[in-house]
Amino acid sequence: MKAKEGVINILNKVLTADLTAINQYFVHAKMCENWGFERLQHKVRERSIDEMKDADELIGHILYLEGVPNVQRMNTVHVGETVPEQFKLDLKAEQEMLALLNEGVVHCVKVADFTTRHMLEDMAKDVDEHIDWIETQQELMEQVGLENYLSEQIHKEG
Amino acid sequence: MKAKEGVLDVLYKVVTLELTAVHHYLLHASMCGNWGYERLQHEFHEHMTEETTHVSKVIDHVLYLEGEPDVQKLGAVSSGQGVQELFNADLKLEQDDVKLLREAIAHCAKVGDFTTRHLLEEMVVDSEEHVDWFETQLRTIKQVGLENYLGEQIKKDS
Repeated sequence: MKAKEGVINILNKVLTADLTAINQYFVHAKMCENWGFERLQHKVRERSIDEMKDADELIGHILYLEGVPNVQRMNTVHVGETVPEQFKLDLKAEQEMLALLNEGVVHCVKVADFTTRHMLEDMAKDVDEHIDWIETQQELMEQVGLENYLSEQIHKEG
Repeated sequence: MKAKEGVLDVLYKVVTLELTAVHHYLLHASMCGNWGYERLQHEFHEHMTEETTHVSKVIDHVLYLEGEPDVQKLGAVSSGQGVQELFNADLKLEQDDVKLLREAIAHCAKVGDFTTRHLLEEMVVDSEEHVDWFETQLRTIKQVGLENYLGEQIKKDS
């Protein structure tokens, strides 16, 4: 099916943000593992896998709309040197992603592409949840202190 | 542990190539899915999973050697108009991969880093299997004809 005007462009932008996020989360997870924070490693890795599923879905949808998916482009991957820094950078990436998805949803409504809208809305919901998770972690660190927070990240829940 | 001379540089190159492979197979899986070749889509997904495992192991190892993994860089991702074109591009990528890994293995032996060498040797086994797989597909296409080959790719092996 042919895409409505501008839809492919938006989907490719989301795809670029997704591919960037996959790598950012992947490397953050690995760093957490290297530091000995197994619980965090697990959480962050899961997020990376979620993003990979989103990328897969986006590419499938772009092809369905007879567009050309761009898997060559990547935004800047922001790597944090400490756990709080990683959270800060991930939060920023998620907020940018949310802004992009919202823009996409509005555009899809305008050109009446409701299947793409639905897909982007599902993704926005995941992003929302993740922003909430990161904000919760940041709040926790403030309340219990960084050291206490980090020591709780050493063991993964069984 | 501190890395021996040149080992991190070699590993960074491997990360870039393996990441490029992940993007390659992500795209090619979706394209095959879009064309209706479920079996091939499944095969490409499997390839992608293996490459992701490689990336994961190499990044772990870079961090262990106190390096900073670069997940920003990406090689050229090739697309194609048909299955054969995809296979040719993938074969080339895997051949490059094998070549790089062999050079890396030789370097590790030279500087006496046998754990890195061991890791790379395990990876080169997978890469050579991938080369073999693509060569087999291309040869099968030659022997049975493209249409017969593609006809067999519509259903996934159960």
